[in-house]
Amino acid sequence: MWKDFRKDLPSHSFLIVAALIALYPFIYMIMTSFKSNVEFYHNYFGISLPLHFDNYVVAWQAISPYLLNSALFAASGVIIMALTGSLAGYSFARLRYRGKPVIFMVVISLLMIPGLLTLIPLFLEMKGLRLLNSRIGMILAFAAGGQAFTIFVFRQSIASLPEELFEAARIDGYSEVRVYLNIVLPLSKPIIGTVSIFNLLSIWNNYLLPLVLINSQGKYPLTVGLMAFRGQFVYNAQYGPMFAGYTIASLPLLLLFLFTMRLFMRGLTAGSIKM
Amino acid sequence: MSNRQRPLTTRLFTTSDARLSLSRLKYQWKSGYGMLLPAFVLLIMFMYYPALSAIVLSFSSWDGFNSPIFNGLRNYITLVKDPVFWISIRNVAVWAAVKTTLEIAVPLFVAVLIYHLRSKRMQYIYRVIFVVPVVVPDIVLYLIWSFFFDPNIGVLGHLFSVLGLSGVTPNWLGDPNIALFALMSVGFPFVVPFNLLIFFAGLQAIPEEVMESARIEGVGRTRRFFQIELPLVMGQMKLLLILTMIQLLQNVTLPLVLTNGGPGYSTYVPGLLMYLLAFQNGQFGLGMAVSMVIFILVLSLTWIQFRYIRPGTEYTA
Repeated sequence: MWKDFRKDLPSHSFLIVAALIALYPFIYMIMTSFKSNVEFYHNYFGISLPLHFDNYVVAWQAISPYLLNSALFAASGVIIMALTGSLAGYSFARLRYRGKPVIFMVVISLLMIPGLLTLIPLFLEMKGLRLLNSRIGMILAFAAGGQAFTIFVFRQSIASLPEELFEAARIDGYSEVRVYLNIVLPLSKPIIGTVSIFNLLSIWNNYLLPLVLINSQGKYPLTVGLMAFRGQFVYNAQYGPMFAGYTIASLPLLLLFLFTMRLFMRGLTAGSIKM
Repeated sequence: MSNRQRPLTTRLFTTSDARLSLSRLKYQWKSGYGMLLPAFVLLIMFMYYPALSAIVLSFSSWDGFNSPIFNGLRNYITLVKDPVFWISIRNVAVWAAVKTTLEIAVPLFVAVLIYHLRSKRMQYIYRVIFVVPVVVPDIVLYLIWSFFFDPNIGVLGHLFSVLGLSGVTPNWLGDPNIALFALMSVGFPFVVPFNLLIFFAGLQAIPEEVMESARIEGVGRTRRFFQIELPLVMGQMKLLLILTMIQLLQNVTLPLVLTNGGPGYSTYVPGLLMYLLAFQNGQFGLGMAVSMVIFILVLSLTWIQFRYIRPGTEYTA
């Protein structure tokens, strides 16, 4: 390996420099998150010892409610999308009924609709339904947003399962619901993982939708909460705790990434089949 | 005819269902629609209804409280006459042109470098290193950069004074001539993880024999890139070109968080204009007209993709 490294030295030097620059904002974030204010001003670029873990205690108190809200929104949204998406995907892939191609086309056409188009009317609709500033409303909006893509991916995946399985189930007199529960769901585990990572990332990162639909601070998800959090800590010039908060906000997905690396990378690129 | 060459519609709808008895068909009719129901309740309520509302209400004046007043094309005429609308269009055009180029060229270059590393293990490690930033929420990256740009305590200011340039440090987000480019530099050096992985998958799909014969014939790096690799990842490149443009067209969060469109109107983009018209001025109808413009732009790009670019590029990690 060392010999290979020496032969590829030019590439390695370029890649290492590029990686360091790309990661620098996060390296700086972590270094500063352990500094007191004095250390922040006097040792701006370096690492300061001792590490001030108390910054994390302060930041955690301010940021944990947002983190919990985000976890709730993401988990509910992802589960709803996986269930309704796999049901609809199975129906489109395996069942026969009139109008299916047209209905499927109607679903697929949603992939061309940008989120910005529905933002204002969704706000007005939620206001009319009294679902503004409601966690339920937020979850439903998130779930609907990724629904068409999820159905499309499930349909493709379920259509590629071997026909013999369904043939055998039919001969055994399985009902469609039983086929879904006993055959489709167990065999869809990998695609459920991929799609869920993709949906999780998009809910977790969404700023605009909760900004518009949620207006009480107690219900803010991480994205919107972080803006309030930043305001509060910049005002008091507490830079250590501010960066500690940013670091905490990045930890949940980092842990998920470390445990499901390959699945995570597949989920990330699931968007390439988005049309 | 091979699967790939058949028109998309037939490819999507061919199912290999065997002969079914009549009663069976009837049953599938019920469960078929039944299983679509939960998804459709969500879609009709929170996708189709708002999407159609946007189209209809973009022809109205509405404050969100009283009933909307339909006013024909007046919103669109207002927009065409509004210099701010044209500034925002110009800004997004510059933004999309520069960033699309960078976000395609840099990941491709990095993907090629990684692909030609001799050690498979190092290839994987680099991919992981460049992909890790996706775990950080976009908003955190924006907030860190917003801190970097701070004229008093920011990293860029400190860097300039370390280099002895403290007198000439620009006010990154405060100077109308620089602000847009400052926003565009967020995410430097633009090794977009998604694009990197797609290009890498494209390179991996090049048959071993092609690379082998290039090696035997002693083809240099540059020629290999332009005559073998570049043509063979063209599919991925076209796909990423459209996806990146669609995504840049819709970026609201970055200018909203860093500059709120300022100073002046120098960092306005259509999405931000839409947001501010609706949620700051209460001009919901006019805001929806802007969102229709964005929709039409996205639709044209999607149509180009549908028409000229194959839809699938699978990636296996």
